[in-house]
Amino acid sequence: MFLVNWFYGALGYLGLYQKNAKLVFLGLDNAGKSTLLQMLKDDRMAQLEPTVHPQSEELVMGSIRFRTFDLGGHEIARKIWKDYLGSVDGIVFMVDSSDRERFELSRNELNELLSMEELQNVPFIILGNKIDLTDAASEEELRNALGLDTYGYYGKDLKSQPGVRPIELFMCSVARRTGYAEGFRWLSQFLK
Amino acid sequence: MSEDVYTLEAKDGIRCTWQNWPSNKVTATRNVIPICLVYTPLKEIENIALVEYEPIACSRCKSVLNPHVAIDFVSKAWGCPFCMTRNSFPSHYKAHISETTLPAELMAQYTTMEYILPPVVALPPVFVFVVDTCCDTEELSYLKSSLQQSLSILPAEALIGFITFGKNVYAYNLGWTENTRCYAFRGDKKYELPQIKDLLGLIGNDPRSVQTGARRFLMPASECELALNNIIEDLSKDAWPVPQGSRPLRCVGNALNIAVSLMELAYTRHGGRIMLFAGGAASFGPGMIVGDKLVDSIRTQSDIKNDNAKYLKPAIQFYQGISERAANNGHAIDIFCCAIDQIGLLEMRSLSEKTGGYLVLTDTFKSDVFRLSLQKIFSRDDTGALRMGFNSTIQAFTSPDIKINGAIGPGIGVKKKNPFVSEVEIGMGGTNHWQIGSIDNQTTLSFHLDIVNQEPQAKRTHAFVQFQTKYQHSGGRSRLRVTTVKYPVVETANIAKFISGFDQETAAVIMARWAVSKSETEETIDVIRWIDRTLIRLVKKFGEYQQEMPHTFRLCREFGLYPQFMFHMRRSQFLQTFNVSPDESAYYRTMLVRENVTNSLLMIQPALLQYSFESPHPTPVLLDIASLKNNVILLLDTFFTVLIWHGDLIVKWKKLGYQEQEEYENFRELLKLPVADAQSILVERFPVPRLIETDCGKGAERLLKAKVNPSGMGAGNATVESGNYFTEDVSMKTFMDRLIEYAVKA
Repeated sequence: MFLVNWFYGALGYLGLYQKNAKLVFLGLDNAGKSTLLQMLKDDRMAQLEPTVHPQSEELVMGSIRFRTFDLGGHEIARKIWKDYLGSVDGIVFMVDSSDRERFELSRNELNELLSMEELQNVPFIILGNKIDLTDAASEEELRNALGLDTYGYYGKDLKSQPGVRPIELFMCSVARRTGYAEGFRWLSQFLK
Repeated sequence: MSEDVYTLEAKDGIRCTWQNWPSNKVTATRNVIPICLVYTPLKEIENIALVEYEPIACSRCKSVLNPHVAIDFVSKAWGCPFCMTRNSFPSHYKAHISETTLPAELMAQYTTMEYILPPVVALPPVFVFVVDTCCDTEELSYLKSSLQQSLSILPAEALIGFITFGKNVYAYNLGWTENTRCYAFRGDKKYELPQIKDLLGLIGNDPRSVQTGARRFLMPASECELALNNIIEDLSKDAWPVPQGSRPLRCVGNALNIAVSLMELAYTRHGGRIMLFAGGAASFGPGMIVGDKLVDSIRTQSDIKNDNAKYLKPAIQFYQGISERAANNGHAIDIFCCAIDQIGLLEMRSLSEKTGGYLVLTDTFKSDVFRLSLQKIFSRDDTGALRMGFNSTIQAFTSPDIKINGAIGPGIGVKKKNPFVSEVEIGMGGTNHWQIGSIDNQTTLSFHLDIVNQEPQAKRTHAFVQFQTKYQHSGGRSRLRVTTVKYPVVETANIAKFISGFDQETAAVIMARWAVSKSETEETIDVIRWIDRTLIRLVKKFGEYQQEMPHTFRLCREFGLYPQFMFHMRRSQFLQTFNVSPDESAYYRTMLVRENVTNSLLMIQPALLQYSFESPHPTPVLLDIASLKNNVILLLDTFFTVLIWHGDLIVKWKKLGYQEQEEYENFRELLKLPVADAQSILVERFPVPRLIETDCGKGAERLLKAKVNPSGMGAGNATVESGNYFTEDVSMKTFMDRLIEYAVKA
């Protein structure tokens, strides 16, 4: 019973209780996707090694399915997640906010995702992870680096903004268990 | 544990959990870790006695004459240590034998020796390539060039077959150089053996005439090289269109069925291997593991757990059927899976497990892991022979008080009831006879033994075990390797003898093998609990302590590392499934149960070497987060991956370009040293490991951070010298504290 309670507890906390959705975690390797997945699954922080099949981990909580894909790898990997995106309800795009060298790469990947036709109506949350690190970028720096303002500012206050695409940046630290829940609660507004 | 253990391993390819054996069942049970032999039948042994005559066997049990038998030189007879039968020597032995004139097999140093058996005719090995043509053009071109290269290094007399698959299966007629001729089979149809025989145009019932007919499919390399090279050259992507939102149709199952059937029809119990090159998931016909629509994703760990993987069971069953046929025919099936996503290795693992075939898992045909591993398979020894044996059988013989529970490792058991076999089965049990289609100098099995004697007093001073491994040498002749070992039997009360004879490395490896074998049928959490219980019982029995006083607890040197091995085993990818795909789990588990003690131990607890200015040579350091220092280079060897890691200061120096300046030559040398060491590992090992070079703070260092012991951390997180490191995993200290707590409990 403990497990079941924890699941629904966690879903409630994330604002996803009674939602039915397929969510995808995307981002460069080492952004913290699997770590977040494990945190959601077991409420436990662990060191996870990169694997041959990073996309094959799936977490099912209630009626929500979470899945992760590495971006920025080679072209073959790209095909796999592209194939999978047709039926997703929300994208969680993760960025390591301390990895300035690869902001540019993240930005390109994100731009590509946002311009995909099949994702036109899909809400995006961008999680700027690892803010606990001393050299992490600020929200403003990351927002600029990823070029988010070019898509219009949706706002975290959850008031619908006609004509503006639901994209929002949330700074977080999976290790410190802060920030990402706000992001999920924001995202949940757009899920059935 | 004494050095003798390694000497014996070098001499006989054998290691045992205990060097001194208990005399009765009760003591054996109380010693917690069972008597278990880890044996590498074809280990390369220096100066092994290789003779060309038939061995002398015991008239009753068929064990072979060996240095441990009691000889009566007066009446020219010998006593079999396994069934106690008295045998007289054959006349040509009688004529010469004396205390000073002994045949090789009776000389003390030849506890392991090899006989080259008649007949003198040599059988060439058969290789059937089964090639996936659904990969994209780039992948296919890498695969093609690797195949062509293997073709050029195969022995000229070896028979080659070539089969491709996509939506259909094509068996190539290699007798045509002008244009390509092949026989097509539908990918989704279920073909039975007689039907395949008809469709391939094979006639006759005796093997000879079938072989003649099959010659166009299985032809000596020297004769078909040109034709085959052209076929490979012209190979293009499977022509069947793949609509948007669909996977290519790959009938992996049927392709294997055709290959196994062709071999079964023409070359039963004649050495051969079927080599499957798969670039994606089986999605069509028998053995499919996923549908062709992309919205149906390949099963995940959670799908399997929740019984939500509809193709899983039928696919496993299908491949097991194929595996058993190949295994019974004495053939091996290799799998090279080179794909970014899963291909169905979980379902297919029996192909390699039951036949001893090779298994290589990597992400692309371009990778060195694939390319170099394939080359290594066809490398030759000093005599020009391939380093592999075919169509092998292993038989074990034991002293009267000892029975065999079973074997864990590649192959299949041939059910047999006889006095050597125990009622209690572990792994492949109910027999003392196993078959492995392919065996090489690494192939290793573990054998669980049961002391059945109920008497408390030792009646015999020694226990004996003999292994007979018969195989087709790659040169074509049949050979028999015989290893006979003896272990002293000690009295129950002599606990010091048991302690001094405990081989904790072997114990850790057999427990790991056993755990992997159990995890096939039991929940992982139950397997972990069983490992814990065994560990607690072991330290309770052999530790020194006063009850209820944890601080008095001491563990002697012979047992000192065992808890640490179990700590790493529990958190390894062999038992943990989060972030490990079902295919990867299957891969790691299959690999663990086929390796020798040293390699398996490396998989359980990776080795970590440190390179620094403090020492001119690499020094082994603790697999601990504290070892990730700023001013060092580390080399992590997990068996599957070799990772070179540069500490923060080293990275800074590199960025400043010190290695290019003359006055910092020592820095340049320091950078080179681990790279050279890594290269030598790559040269030695099969499959060739992945090589990663990374810096402190880079994503790839996660492998290292995931493997080390998170020492010095409580439940909270901390920043270590090497940058951020967060984990709530239990540290070894916490684990040991809990263990001791349980151990000293009344």
